[in-house]
Amino acid sequence: MAATEETVFVDGSPCVVLDAVRMSYTVPTTAHVPAANMGLVGKAVRKLMGHQDNVRVDALNEISIVVERGESVGIIGRNGSGKSTMMKLISGQESPVSGAVYASSTPIMLGVNAALVPDLSGDQNIVLGCLAMGMDRAAIGEKFDSIVALSGLAKAIHLPMKTYSSGMGSRLRFAIAASVNPEILLVDEALNTGDAQFIDRSTARMAELRQNAGCVFIVSHSLQTIQDMCSRVFWLDYGDLIMDGAPLETTAAYKSFTDHLAKGNKISAALIKDEARANLVATQVLPRISGRRKVDDR
Amino acid sequence: MSPSKQKLAAPAAVQPLSVDMRELTRVGARPGFLDYLVQLWDFRQFIFYDARARVQSGTRRDRLGSAWLLLNPVFNGLTYYVIFGLLLNTSGGIDNFLGYLIVGLFLFQFSAGAITAGARSIGSNKSVVQAFSFPRAALPIGANLREVLAAVPLVLAMLFLIVVLPPGETIGPLWLLIFPALVLQSLFNLGVGLILARVISRFNDVTHLLPFAIRAWMYGSAVFYSYDRLITHPVLLDLLEMNPLFNVIDIVRDCVLYDRLPEWQSWANLAAFSLGSLLVGLFYFWQGEEKYGRN
Repeated sequence: MAATEETVFVDGSPCVVLDAVRMSYTVPTTAHVPAANMGLVGKAVRKLMGHQDNVRVDALNEISIVVERGESVGIIGRNGSGKSTMMKLISGQESPVSGAVYASSTPIMLGVNAALVPDLSGDQNIVLGCLAMGMDRAAIGEKFDSIVALSGLAKAIHLPMKTYSSGMGSRLRFAIAASVNPEILLVDEALNTGDAQFIDRSTARMAELRQNAGCVFIVSHSLQTIQDMCSRVFWLDYGDLIMDGAPLETTAAYKSFTDHLAKGNKISAALIKDEARANLVATQVLPRISGRRKVDDR
Repeated sequence: MSPSKQKLAAPAAVQPLSVDMRELTRVGARPGFLDYLVQLWDFRQFIFYDARARVQSGTRRDRLGSAWLLLNPVFNGLTYYVIFGLLLNTSGGIDNFLGYLIVGLFLFQFSAGAITAGARSIGSNKSVVQAFSFPRAALPIGANLREVLAAVPLVLAMLFLIVVLPPGETIGPLWLLIFPALVLQSLFNLGVGLILARVISRFNDVTHLLPFAIRAWMYGSAVFYSYDRLITHPVLLDLLEMNPLFNVIDIVRDCVLYDRLPEWQSWANLAAFSLGSLLVGLFYFWQGEEKYGRN
């Protein structure tokens, strides 16, 4: 068992706390699942109800993280390692199976997935999206032109959203999500969509947002982006936290892991991962309640 | 899961961190009921904008556009008039059967549309729910508001038809009473819509049952026949007259067709159902707040 260190008191109030968060999904599968612990009757009932075989996919194993104000956190890992799940949990799009996510204000996910209403025109979607983020009409009026400019849609802004190309749609979504200055900002690979001109504009806006934000989470497959923008990096693999450290060290370890994998050296890759994991200092959150707590535990 | 998954080494150490939680709130946590109502009020502009924008875009695909908002109930009325008025002759003993039918159908269609829209508002806006965090009750409320806006021309057309078609009723001061009746009807629609929205988000199967339930309800609301003529059992009649939708239709018929003051029992019953369902609906919907839009 891992040794327990002495308790450290975190000064001030952190931005985001993940307290023993675990996430799993139950999904239907076409693969045959051996129904070992189920009697004949159980099988018959399942068949009658037309039940599909379900498997539990552990997207994120129990993880605790404390992120303080001023930190830029990069999350790296292979496909299916739990990066996006972690972002969804922090943004509140999904709620964890156990544990809880605490934040000092509503986190805003900046991505190209913020879905809008296809029947409405672009400008109507801007107003609706901004209202849904809690802005009032006056603030929207001020920001409207800059949102249209960032999206680069020009006259097409008056056409229904369903007539847009996928690129136009994601540009508009990004522009709407980027119109607020959130304290906690989540970026899910938003930087790599659109044409060169849009990438320039969105990168500039991103930099502005990062400067104003209290803390930032970035998911990206580009290790260069992570090194440039982050002060702390998590490496996730199969839903486990493998490494939590400085950008250069963590990306270097991850890089050599994927390089070995690409060459087919599964064993040496596993060794790198095990070594990183064996040096990990995991976090345990001890809530300190001096005075009244805002939200009761469930 | 991948077969290559091996047992993972335990971390070197566990570092307990004592964290000051006072400034933090749980992400996606449901606020208290009163706070929730305040939040809803803060999102009123979202609700209004959503409702208005969608009324305009609802029929854009059709050649006749918004005219369908009117033509729909008119055709509906014609169909029922031919079947029940001419072929089956259920109209026996009813004064101005055409007007009777128009009031019943138009008002029933308003409730049926609003309740269905409210009930489906979470499912049909799943992407918006997942993208933004706002009090979810804004969606059923917006859907109901949309139906109310769409019902304005509907009600005007209803009154117009009643004045124009023979025997041609005259407009009197009692007509003003239809406004409070319609307001109470809208509140009732919203309450039922909120309850169904949570039920459907939990058990989607209910969407398949909804059209049947609504049809059964229509047959039970004296839309194209009169209770008194078909039902002789007094207790059953009393029970049927508790139906709030029947109350609305009855009140409006009394006001615009028969020029008589609706009974106070009808008003009391309708008001109790409207406010009761709204309160229950809001509370029940709020209890499920954290679960909407999740898979």
